[in-house]
Amino acid sequence: MWTLVRQESFKLIRKNSTWISTSFLVGVEILFAFLARIYPKTFVPANMFESLYFSRPIINFYMIAATATIITMEFQYGTMKQVLYRRYSRGQILVSKWLAIFLYTFFWYVLSTGIALLMKALLFRHRLNIHQGAGDGMSIFTRGLAISAASFLSLWLLLSVVFLLANLFRNSAAAVSVGIIGYFASNIVTQLLTLLIQKWDWAKWNPVTMTLYPSMLAHPGYYQPLLRMQGWQMCLGNVIYIAIFLWIGYYVFNKRNV
Amino acid sequence: MSSILSVQNLNKNFGNKHVLHDVSFDLTPGHIVGLVGPNGAGKSTLMKTMLGLFNYDSGSIKIAGEKVTPQKHESLSKVGALIEYPGIYPFLTGWDHLQLFADGDHQLIHIQKIISQLNMDSFIKRKAKGYSLGMKQKLGIALALVNFPDLVILDEPMNGLDPEATKELRDLIISESLKGTTFLISSHILSELQRLAQDLLIIDEGRIVQQTTMHDLLASQGKQTIMLMTSDDKKARQLLKKAKFKTTPDPRVEVVATDDHTMPEVLHLLVEGGVDILDVTRLEGNLESSLLEVLKQSRIKKRLAEEEAE
Ligand SMILES: Nc1ncnc2c1ncn2[C@@H]1O[C@H](COP(=O)(O)OP(=O)(O)OP(=O)(O)O)[C@@H](O)[C@H]1O
Ligand SMILES: [Mg+2]
Repeated sequence: MWTLVRQESFKLIRKNSTWISTSFLVGVEILFAFLARIYPKTFVPANMFESLYFSRPIINFYMIAATATIITMEFQYGTMKQVLYRRYSRGQILVSKWLAIFLYTFFWYVLSTGIALLMKALLFRHRLNIHQGAGDGMSIFTRGLAISAASFLSLWLLLSVVFLLANLFRNSAAAVSVGIIGYFASNIVTQLLTLLIQKWDWAKWNPVTMTLYPSMLAHPGYYQPLLRMQGWQMCLGNVIYIAIFLWIGYYVFNKRNV
Repeated sequence: MSSILSVQNLNKNFGNKHVLHDVSFDLTPGHIVGLVGPNGAGKSTLMKTMLGLFNYDSGSIKIAGEKVTPQKHESLSKVGALIEYPGIYPFLTGWDHLQLFADGDHQLIHIQKIISQLNMDSFIKRKAKGYSLGMKQKLGIALALVNFPDLVILDEPMNGLDPEATKELRDLIISESLKGTTFLISSHILSELQRLAQDLLIIDEGRIVQQTTMHDLLASQGKQTIMLMTSDDKKARQLLKKAKFKTTPDPRVEVVATDDHTMPEVLHLLVEGGVDILDVTRLEGNLESSLLEVLKQSRIKKRLAEEEAE
């Protein structure tokens, strides 16, 4: 299995897009750190730090694209046959791709957190104390970490859907668009969602609610009453939906003719 | 010992289209086996199914005694393959590809050997984005051979290769087969296959029409033809006609040999008739005409069987 994960990572590392997007992410973080330094009223340094200097949306977009292409590029380049007709089972091939994307997501979060800490140390040494309380018994730093963990989880909810769609359509455009629509959908339909939830309590268990988990942590006290959800329920809901979508994708992949 | 590849009563449908009908065969270890048949006969489908790329409806596929299904196929560790066209990542170099698909650590020397045998040194370190058709094809073949396979499955391997590369590939296949590797090769370039394959599987409309050796097929179908160059072709033809030998409509003087006595009898007749013989050649039966004959016969048989059934 680790051989397969290494092979997937090797392909990722050799792609130019990997390095271009990494530099782009670093560039954006540095840019927003400077903006927060120069215009602290518009870009409040504490909030900017919590949001990892605007890197989470970039990570989300890029990971949606990377997930779609790790599957569809094999169909596009005709390499899926070669990847499959080896001793490894189909399941192992798919799981190795999940793991590679998991490690990739992890790498991006570690990288962006590292850069955020570095920017804080360089530009806000005396202006921002990230260990000061920020409500709910959390400091700015720990809340930043909690939001990261939550957005990691709900990003994976989207990615599990993207994996499924990429397998069904073999086409990255379709999978990426649905992923990105999914990303925006949660924010667009929040109002509609809260109306539904006020009327029927069970409606809160749909997957779109789960993608609001990071927003819930970023705005304490705002979403809980609207969605009628606790943090741990959101967390569990995400995990369950991820498992369901990955499992359907696994089933489809095992059945298909290549 | 179990055979390297054994297929029994394999059936495969695409929706309601029945593409493989009760296909059964075994490969002799160490042989080069040609898989031939018209376009759409099911050659690629058969190969893909054997490699676990397609589901199948009934029957069994065993490689070295182990069952192959799309879900599970550990025995494919013994198999190398190139199906239809090579899958190539444009952002990797040829060398990267070979390393990516090579199992184990002792492969570097082996990779290097394949590269030089196929004459790929000049481009192997370049990104595959810029490869020509033949370069890609060579890389695909190298990938099929990289893990010391016992069985190699090649679908149209000569596609896009120039004469020099075709010869390199032929030499490589022969040398690997002498070391014990079994090959299953489909190709429409019959002259090339005739030089390579020892055994033949003929497939038409999803059925194995005949499994035979190249020698038997050519001997049974290829009417042995004797071609003569004489001092007086016109007279030679007249003499042969009078003696009731079977000739061909060819402008050259050609006699169809019915048995081993034909040749001496022809020579006697002409020498005694005062015609000088400048050269004699025996024309081998060729794969193309033999194959067409087999396919024709099998289609006639099938039609008769269908009419009887009605
Ligand atoms: N993915 C598919 N879906 C539906 N039908 C298919 C599929 N692949 C092949 N077929 C059908 O199966 C039959 C056999 O096709 P196959 O590609 O195996 O032929 P082939 O012998 O390799 O022909 P060629 O010499 O042209 O390569 C054809 O009738 C083709 O239309
Ligand atoms: Mg074919």
